Amino acid sequence: MSRVYVGMSGGVDSSLTAALLKEQGHDVTGVYMKNWTQDLPGMRCPWADDLADAKRVAVQLEIPFKVYDFEKEYKQKVVDYMIDEYKAGRTPNPDIMCNQEVKFKLFLDAALEDGADMIATGHYAATRDGRLLQAADTNKDQTYFLYRVDRTALEKTLFPLGNYKKPHVRKLAEERGLVTAGKKDSQGICFVGSVGIKEFLSQYVTAEIGDIVEKESGHVVGEHDGAIYYTLGQRHGLSLGGGLPYYVVGKDMGKNIIYVSRNLSDESMWRKTLSLDHLHWIDGPPQEGEKLHVRLRHRGLLLPGVFSGSSLELEESERAVATGQSAVIYRGKECLGGGIVA
Amino acid sequence: MSTPIYLDYAAATPLDERVFAVMQPYLAEKFYNPSAAYTAAREVRRDLDTARHELAVCIGGKRDEVILTAGATESVNLAFRGLLEPGDHVVIGATEHDAVRGIAGEYDVTFAASDNKGTITPSAVLTAISDKTKLVSITAADSELGTIQPLVKIAAVIADVRRDRVKRGVKTPLYFHSDASQAAGVIDLHVARLGVDLLTLNAAKCYGPKQVGLLWVASHLSLKPLIPGGGQERGLRSGTENVAGAVGFARALQIAIRNRHTDSEQIRGLRDTLQKALTTALPELVVNGSQKKRLPGHLNVSVDGLDAERVVFRLDSQGVQVATGAACAANKGTRSNVLIAIGASDSMADGSLRFSLGRQTTAVDIEQASTLIVEAIRHEASL
Repeated sequence: MSRVYVGMSGGVDSSLTAALLKEQGHDVTGVYMKNWTQDLPGMRCPWADDLADAKRVAVQLEIPFKVYDFEKEYKQKVVDYMIDEYKAGRTPNPDIMCNQEVKFKLFLDAALEDGADMIATGHYAATRDGRLLQAADTNKDQTYFLYRVDRTALEKTLFPLGNYKKPHVRKLAEERGLVTAGKKDSQGICFVGSVGIKEFLSQYVTAEIGDIVEKESGHVVGEHDGAIYYTLGQRHGLSLGGGLPYYVVGKDMGKNIIYVSRNLSDESMWRKTLSLDHLHWIDGPPQEGEKLHVRLRHRGLLLPGVFSGSSLELEESERAVATGQSAVIYRGKECLGGGIVA
Repeated sequence: MSTPIYLDYAAATPLDERVFAVMQPYLAEKFYNPSAAYTAAREVRRDLDTARHELAVCIGGKRDEVILTAGATESVNLAFRGLLEPGDHVVIGATEHDAVRGIAGEYDVTFAASDNKGTITPSAVLTAISDKTKLVSITAADSELGTIQPLVKIAAVIADVRRDRVKRGVKTPLYFHSDASQAAGVIDLHVARLGVDLLTLNAAKCYGPKQVGLLWVASHLSLKPLIPGGGQERGLRSGTENVAGAVGFARALQIAIRNRHTDSEQIRGLRDTLQKALTTALPELVVNGSQKKRLPGHLNVSVDGLDAERVVFRLDSQGVQVATGAACAANKGTRSNVLIAIGASDSMADGSLRFSLGRQTTAVDIEQASTLIVEAIRHEASL
């Protein structure tokens, strides 16, 4: 059996992951990745409680426990990346970047350096010979967040929860008396938590008030508190009174203008052809003209389409696909990789 | 698992049932505002005055010198804010609680160094004092090691400094405050004998209710208000009085002082049994702090290289509740300033455990706990 370093976040999933691996006879070490500790106005960062919970479980399982401090790297590679992307008017996904840069790079390297043969996490996903497969629990499947992980990393990764459904995971954790069995799942981006992305960004950028312009008429119909806070297709948060709702159909970051429309079928809201950049393939690109499926957001529908070159042709138009979002490509159960919508 | 064995009395003490009994009427039928004019309210006012008088008697002060607060942290804040102007110089002990460190940090602060047993010597205080110093604050006994400070001797040194200032025409006044929260019911708290100008006490550390404390202020001092409003507590700390808290606090302090010697003796005996069991079974274990001048319920130990937080979690799952001064997650990764102050290395601080015994601790508790503690330390040290 191998020496496995398990990323333990203090949640039920990674707690059970460690427990299962130990039961399978592996030599397990728990590791808490200290990535982020900043409080936000109205939100205390729960890292210290999470770390304590992870450690409590490690003590319960009688396994060694370590803390890897990636705070500096996480800020640079995940948080700064996210802020820069928003500043550029795009809609990034920091969880994808966290997996690519921190969990399956820094954590993996540090664990191997410390003598691990493999790493494991509580992600709902599966691997087979370095390939990435969707989890049995299709509702929880997290391969969307994992498409930028390298094959060499996946070859050294175990996802023991890939065959379980979430309620079953809780039950197994309860049966084992794990102290985290009843802990609530974390919501959304971990460092943003419940306060929302706007409050988070406002700590780092000085947004200025700008015009909201109706696309069709060119009239100024209101003002916004910073174009950075608005995403394509967004309806809420625009303080415009009366009539049909307006939707964001475009932004001009340079001029700090938001374009809105009441026309739900506005062409800029719907895209059939997506140009992708920063492509990443786990085991080489798909074949030209091959019929595949694509997912444009976590837990989003699998949309049929064809990929060629760097362009993705969807069978049917899709609403509100923002630049910066990831398009993740699947062949059946297998996640092949994907790219970032340009 | 049966009832847990509680060995963290320095963190919180259970409410004494006799204290709870005297508090109950003021949480229910005697709910009146002590400032109201009718008879029922006047009776509540009288009971509050009685409680304040009883508290004053416990420490040898006058009734009007006792300011009731919502706990020791507030008392300390009132002492500092009430006496000082921005930029004033203060001297505090290196082993002070966060309640003192927090507010002292808002002024020009110098730490009086601790020796390696946790004692703040009078000469260390003297070294830290300059002609600018306006307030010296030294705890009566710190919460982690339980080292009892030589307050009387420190007060004598402070009196010398005052006389010297007068002689040299230095006009800056010098005040002496002590946070005696941990020491209630253990040391003699008579303010005149201690030689302090201000004294902080906390009901929650002597089997009284939480969020109830007092600041005794010598009558010759004049403080600025901490909380303006309706003018309660001589205008220093407004807000309708917590009569139940005051009555409970008075009863708790009376019980603590009345049973001071018998309680201390019993608790010290059990603590010494625990210490002997641990040091015998674990030769690598070191006892932190002074063993001569120590609160009877305190035992702080270190094992170099041990992850004490793991021991705390393991013991918790086995029904033994203890504390650590480790860089523990619950404390947001900060090591105990007290252990740093006595010169403990990081690995000794991370390997430190605090056991604090109290009135309800039994010989059976100690027998069971010492076996489990030894086993837990051995187990975790071997990982």
